Amino acid sequence: MATSESVTKTIFPAQEAEVSQRDLDWAVVQKVQSGNVGAYDQLVQKYREQIFSVVYNMTSNREDASDLTQETFIKAFQAIARFKGKSSFFTWVYRIAINTTMTFLKKRSRRRFISYENIDEEVSNSEIFERLTAKNQTEKGALINELQEKLNDALQKLSLKHRTVVILHEIEGLEHAEIAEITKTSVGTVRSRLHYAKQQLQGYLKDYLG
Amino acid sequence: MSNHTHDSQKEVKVEDLLRMKRSERPDEAFWGQFDQELHQRMLQTLVKKDPVHLQIWRTLSGRFTQSVGVACAAAFLALMVVRPAFIGTGSTSVSVAQDSVVFAEAPLVEVAMSEMDVSSLEATRDYSLEGISAEIESNDASFTRDFGMEGFQLAMDADYSSDAASSRPSFGSTGVATTLVY
Repeated sequence: MATSESVTKTIFPAQEAEVSQRDLDWAVVQKVQSGNVGAYDQLVQKYREQIFSVVYNMTSNREDASDLTQETFIKAFQAIARFKGKSSFFTWVYRIAINTTMTFLKKRSRRRFISYENIDEEVSNSEIFERLTAKNQTEKGALINELQEKLNDALQKLSLKHRTVVILHEIEGLEHAEIAEITKTSVGTVRSRLHYAKQQLQGYLKDYLG
Repeated sequence: MSNHTHDSQKEVKVEDLLRMKRSERPDEAFWGQFDQELHQRMLQTLVKKDPVHLQIWRTLSGRFTQSVGVACAAAFLALMVVRPAFIGTGSTSVSVAQDSVVFAEAPLVEVAMSEMDVSSLEATRDYSLEGISAEIESNDASFTRDFGMEGFQLAMDADYSSDAASSRPSFGSTGVATTLVY
């Protein structure tokens, strides 16, 4: 007879993994709180790429994204003594990153120049990209650059709230509930914003769709 | 139907385009520089001087703490050094007071005794007569004993109802008590 624990493990493997990650992070956070400053580097190494990705997609500027990611980790370090572990470190640091980026973007009066990251070569070999190349009758390298520009441009046209939700869900792959926790909104609001954002993006990117 | 499904699978959606952005990643050189800059900024944050108003507040609070500490130490010294001296002075004053009480009591006792001499003579005379007469007349020992107890209770009542200093004269001046003493 299966115990309730094994049933839980079978039904909710993702949740279990998340809980264990949360526990691992909490153990590291407690080390930092007790004075082991060096342990904070583990958390930076673990989440720097995800945080950078969110900030980069929100700003479309790699230098700003680098600065803001660093600022996020510094803010988190300064506030880590007050972190009680009510949410996961991952959620907490994401929230700091998004708030920091939003404050930065609101203060920035005019749009700065855009600087993109490199796209992995594996994209050009993907099935989606093959279809796009066939449809547009364009050379791969040129299409990659064009598509990158159009995608970033379309994201920048969205409002900050809609941009945040669509980035967290479609690019970062977070669940609705996680996004709701990070943005301190309801799941319904997240779904609504996501739906609206996708509609907007479909209009901006119609030349590449279908 | 199958053609429609096949076509829909081929369709490029917004989600597909957005997922392509996952491949926009910085290279390893970028992360090396990132780590270096972050460590520098964190060190700067750790050793960074606080704003002026915070420094002033910290100085003031530090001085306040110092002054509180000095005050506590002074209070402790006062308790340990001055207090015993004060207690010594107090004990002499108490002894003086006790002496004065003795001196003060002496005339009182004398006065009371002198008063008692007059009053107790009558009282002694009356009680002794009554006691004797009672014993003689009734030959009842319990009567004499009860009488004596009443007198004692009266004296005790007088003693509890007043301060110790004033109770003595009143006790002394009580005819019954005087009778018991004598």
